[in-house]
Amino acid sequence: MTTLLDIQDLHARVQDKDILKGLNLTVNAGTVHAIMGPNGAGKSTLSKVLAGAADYEVTGGRVLLAGKDLLALNPEARAAAGVFMGFQYPVEIPGVSNMMFLKAAVNAQRKQRGEPELEAADFLAWVRHRVKQMKMDPAMLSRGVNEGFSGGEKKRNEILQMLVLEPKLMVLDETDSGLDIDALRIVAEGINAMRSPERATVLVTHYQRLLDYVQPDHVHVLAGGRIIKSGGPELARELEEKGYGWLQAA
Amino acid sequence: MRAPTSYQAAFAQFAQGLPAAERALREQAFASFAAAGFPDDSAERWHYTDLNKLAPQNVQLPATLGAPALDELLLPGCESRVWLNGRAQQAAAGGEMPSGAGDALVQLNRAFALPGLQLQLAAGEQRAQPLHALLLTQAQAPGEMHHLAHRIALARGSRATVLLHSAGLPGAASFSSHQLDLDLAEQAQLTLICLQQEGEQAAQLLQTRARIGRDAQLRLINLDFGGQLIRKDWQLQLAEAGAQLEVHGLFAAQQRVHLDNQYEVEHAAPHTSSRQLLRGLGSGRSKSILNDRVLVRPGAFKTDSEQRLANLILERGAEINAKPELEIYADDVKCAHGNSCGQLDERAVFYLRSRGVPEAQARALLTYSFADAVLAQLPIAALRLRLAQTLTRQLGAELDFEDLT
Ligand SMILES: Nc1ncnc2c1ncn2[C@@H]1O[C@H](COP(=O)(O)OP(=O)(O)O)[C@@H](O)[C@H]1O
Ligand SMILES: [Mg+2]
Repeated sequence: MTTLLDIQDLHARVQDKDILKGLNLTVNAGTVHAIMGPNGAGKSTLSKVLAGAADYEVTGGRVLLAGKDLLALNPEARAAAGVFMGFQYPVEIPGVSNMMFLKAAVNAQRKQRGEPELEAADFLAWVRHRVKQMKMDPAMLSRGVNEGFSGGEKKRNEILQMLVLEPKLMVLDETDSGLDIDALRIVAEGINAMRSPERATVLVTHYQRLLDYVQPDHVHVLAGGRIIKSGGPELARELEEKGYGWLQAA
Repeated sequence: MRAPTSYQAAFAQFAQGLPAAERALREQAFASFAAAGFPDDSAERWHYTDLNKLAPQNVQLPATLGAPALDELLLPGCESRVWLNGRAQQAAAGGEMPSGAGDALVQLNRAFALPGLQLQLAAGEQRAQPLHALLLTQAQAPGEMHHLAHRIALARGSRATVLLHSAGLPGAASFSSHQLDLDLAEQAQLTLICLQQEGEQAAQLLQTRARIGRDAQLRLINLDFGGQLIRKDWQLQLAEAGAQLEVHGLFAAQQRVHLDNQYEVEHAAPHTSSRQLLRGLGSGRSKSILNDRVLVRPGAFKTDSEQRLANLILERGAEINAKPELEIYADDVKCAHGNSCGQLDERAVFYLRSRGVPEAQARALLTYSFADAVLAQLPIAALRLRLAQTLTRQLGAELDFEDLT
């Protein structure tokens, strides 16, 4: 199996506070990894570091995407290389319509990869199909990005963007929180639809709930800035029962 | 402070060919201007814009301009009228010479002004086509100046859409002044787009007085994209019950532009409403001033007013001074205001970049959408598209407008 993401001894800080303290994680193509852990463990920090957010400073270690140095790339180049982060708190952008946003994103990525722009009509059909898949109202396409969306609608919109952009590595930061059961199922279906032998998914989650719908191959516990335990799907159930205390104490 | 001597010389030359009666009125006006001179910064309204320092000191009458190519400036679906360096290119409906009181700038304009746009609609008259008044400037020699007086009077229940468009072609430094009188009788509706795209060496003064009558409606869209020294005064009076005013303003100040917009909205009657959304972009070493005063007169109860000012500083050298002011002398009124000045939301920039949009384009897109809140109000689709392109060119980015219009 080919390694898609390889994180070695990663250290990162935000505002002079060390958050990630030697994190190791290897994600092979075709697999789904779940990362669980207590609040403040550094899960969102890991997601943001992978996406290239400027306020997170990497102070040590390496991250390779398909063998290439990911940390050397700016955020837009990472996206073009196939990284997609689903935001825990998606941003509202009034005045930029969802359609404009998606078109700008897809064409910018294609341009960076040296591919031709998409025909407008083809693109519209492509997007509409996925809007339907996410059971969203097509009228949302002409509304501002996440403008006035509920928490659940924002999360669905993240998955919609993912379906449109077709990334290779998906890092979804608590995409399940704030969703009711129907929305959770739709989101899970969207994630499952993207599973393929060339792609990989890292699900950051608090709860077993999402993992009932998206079966992970590996489950990790992130605490104190490191992966402190890894296992199979059964680890998630164990965590659901016992919490994280027994691991941190050990 | 007295007027510079070059104004005296220009006036003497201008007055030569005038009929005696008109000449006397012009001389009076010029004498008032000459005695008072430009207002200086001791007056609050002129705090940021001292014309004694900023306005051209050496002026002359303009040369006649040959016919330039206008295709890129005219708009499909609009009836157009054109002025070149202050001279009407069509048979002018000669307005009456106004006289009487007015500040030094009014008097300067009166001394020299030729008829500009003169539009009078009869009761109930509806103009289907927007009227595009194109005021084009191209100075052949430094300091060429011209002055125009515009008047739009809508009788009861009439309606019109007017684009008052000043534009500059590359040339020498120029100076122009404009007086604009708006009179809306009962139930009249006017949409006025005031678009300023003067050249990089142009000084322009505009003074507008509007009287909005009973149940009449003025929608003003004030756009500034060019110029070197621009000063616009807006005295907008809600004179009778039920009068409504909507103002959308946008400026994009670049390089070394000095741009000063002074709004004064006067609620002089009960049950009147005003909504203002004023936005601006500052880049380069530009200096922009936005003063927005709402005055509620005694007796103007049930006034409903809203002032929303928001500005973006795009580059560190730019300066924007924005101030909403509110003076209320009546009871039972509803007045809201907000004023923000800042930079782009960095979280939004990162969100776009994380989806693959390069940083420069992400910033341009966000800036554009900020401005589009005003441009989206334009009732002329071709104009909106053209200005969207102008703005993105200024922002140095390529955007796709298919989804906008
Ligand atoms: N932008 C930030 N500024 C300051 N502190 C931050 C910032 N982001 C995260 N932190 C801190 O870093 C730690 C880890 O946060 P985070 O990665 O969000 O945890 P998790 O997602 O696992 O709950 C927390 O103590 C949090 O307060
Ligand atoms: Mg988090």
